[in-house]
Amino acid sequence: MNSPPQDTATRSIDAGDIEFGDGLEILLSTVFQAAEPGQTIDVATSSRSTALELPGWARSTGHSAERDWKETNGNGQRFVVRVRRGEAAPVLAPDLPSRGEPMPLRLGSQFHTTDLVNAAPERLPGSPDPGYGLIPLGAVPESGGPQYSWRLNHHDDLWAEEITDLTERASSAQWDATVDVPWNEALGLPDDVERAVAQVMTFIASNEYVALYVPSKFLPQVNSAFVDILMWLASHIHDEARHVEVFTKRALIGGQRGYALASTQMSLHSLLEEDDFSSASLLLNVLGEGTFIDLLGFISRNAPDAATAACARLAHRDEQRHVHFGISHVRRSQKLDPDSTPQLIGAVEARAAKLATLTGLSPVLLESLTILAAGSTRSASLRRGAAGVKELTRLMEVNRIRRLRAAGFDAETAHHLSELHTPNLM
Amino acid sequence: MSGPTLLVGAVAYHERVVPIWEIFREYFSARDVPVDYVLYSNYERQAEALLDGKIDIGWNTNTAFVRIRHVAGEPVRILGMRDVDSDWATLVVTRKGEGVEKVSELSGTRLALGSRDSGHAAILPLYYLAREGLDAVNDCELIRFDTDLGKHGDTGDSELRVLRAVADGEAGAGAVGAPIWASLKAKADPLISGLEVQWRSEDYYHCNFTVLGSMDRAVADRWSAALLAMDYNDPSLRYAMDLEGVKKWLPGDEKGYATLTEAMVQQGYFG
Ligand SMILES: [Fe+2]
Ligand SMILES: [Fe+2]
Repeated sequence: MNSPPQDTATRSIDAGDIEFGDGLEILLSTVFQAAEPGQTIDVATSSRSTALELPGWARSTGHSAERDWKETNGNGQRFVVRVRRGEAAPVLAPDLPSRGEPMPLRLGSQFHTTDLVNAAPERLPGSPDPGYGLIPLGAVPESGGPQYSWRLNHHDDLWAEEITDLTERASSAQWDATVDVPWNEALGLPDDVERAVAQVMTFIASNEYVALYVPSKFLPQVNSAFVDILMWLASHIHDEARHVEVFTKRALIGGQRGYALASTQMSLHSLLEEDDFSSASLLLNVLGEGTFIDLLGFISRNAPDAATAACARLAHRDEQRHVHFGISHVRRSQKLDPDSTPQLIGAVEARAAKLATLTGLSPVLLESLTILAAGSTRSASLRRGAAGVKELTRLMEVNRIRRLRAAGFDAETAHHLSELHTPNLM
Repeated sequence: MSGPTLLVGAVAYHERVVPIWEIFREYFSARDVPVDYVLYSNYERQAEALLDGKIDIGWNTNTAFVRIRHVAGEPVRILGMRDVDSDWATLVVTRKGEGVEKVSELSGTRLALGSRDSGHAAILPLYYLAREGLDAVNDCELIRFDTDLGKHGDTGDSELRVLRAVADGEAGAGAVGAPIWASLKAKADPLISGLEVQWRSEDYYHCNFTVLGSMDRAVADRWSAALLAMDYNDPSLRYAMDLEGVKKWLPGDEKGYATLTEAMVQQGYFG
């Protein structure tokens, strides 16, 4: 040990008897981070072995021990090591900005996602670097992280006006397919009615798969800077997973199985092939899920049992959000870029061409839907059921055109696109 | 203008040596002092290659450097070393509460040492302890862990065995390098939770980049300047520098090898 130096250090700290492994490194880290490179800090400790460890700690953290000595005072002796702060920055990023304003809350202590996005210290970037990392909103990124290569890097291509509100609503409207359906009500239907219900439920479940896969396919392509888009897609995916669950449960609960029809498979396959986000949104959200809103509404009103009605009603609620997003997104896309209109029309036409062999709803399905609505195979009921299905088909057509108009297409185009929509409904 | 590609030798003491040199190779070539690298399994073979002119630059331990200088028959040059090599030290540790005031109190104990070709865990401990009044060879029972011979202690394996021997009570004290102790301490490794440092040697030099004196001076200077210009705050280098355990490269000279040279002579390493 040397004698104390003549000059004084920039600062000093008495670490007492705290040791490495017990928090001394944390204490030192805060002190050294606050110092400038090149400044000296005298670290005093009552432990001789800690003093012997200090040079090694200093070196391993990019600093250097310069000298050490022993001091004796009224409380006994203490050991001092003078350390010069190195130049290594612990984090390769600019200093954190000083603490800013707190985030706004709404009545009832509510912290809304819309407010999070709008009040964040930095606006969401419109066209971030395609290599952007997994960096939460407002975080200061350190350089040296890995590069990503996102495919979807323009916020305008993905956004819809009410997206954060819709996400928020999705969170508060969660339901549980295990307990929120009165499942026992589904038991005991006559065989032919149960077979019809199982077939319709199987059909719907098939379609829910594509509604699950389409947003799932786009989510990992979305630039990680777009937290609003990510949260929306994730909520959509979560909704659809539950739809797959609830309709599969209803299909099988009575012991009956249904067909997964090739025509349905063909239709869904062609939808999943669409690689353009806005075109997929038109095909899935506006046309497919839009048409399903009418179908689910019909089933919730005409189901032969309360469980089936509940499944349809709960899914119907979610589909309204999905359709809302699609209409709003497609309308905005066309407004921002008029060239997108022919592209959107082209996507519907191209899909229709692939599905040219499909003519009308499958007879198996038509029959099942009719029996489901009739509630029995008695001829009087069947007549009522058939009339109901005919009315549903008309309603679907009318509403589809209405939604296409709302999405920004003129009347003629809306009719044209509605005509081209898949007979499979989704 | 870029000169001829220099061949650097390094010992593959760990698989991380490959990513380190892949990144360094890119760095040097961007600085117009292109290098390629050759990996050896032991420092003896690498020393031979340097002396035979098969490689231009050797990344040597202190033990290897002293040996090369001893047999070279010509002056050798140091082109740089890590910050951590400039103030390496050996620690003597015991179980907590032993209260060793002077190392001479360790007379009669069992002293654990690392590989016999490790400067910091075997050769220098004996040398420095003798200077402090402990003739460990005669007054202690030495327990040597001669693992990974040829790697000169780089793998850290023998030091971990030293620490385990002390923790288990098989040895009363043990000698290890300050860096391995600091890294175990930083991760609160339970292996050393019951141990404490009793003594720290003076600082000495550890590894360096060695070239023979016959190497073209201007080329050597340019390479050394490029090495010393590596910036730890450059994100493209931080990963490799972390793997290499360096935050700053320093020029280095021969003065920090005096004690090891004397120790190796005394302990008969040159026959
Ligand atoms: Fe759905
Ligand atoms: Fe949906």
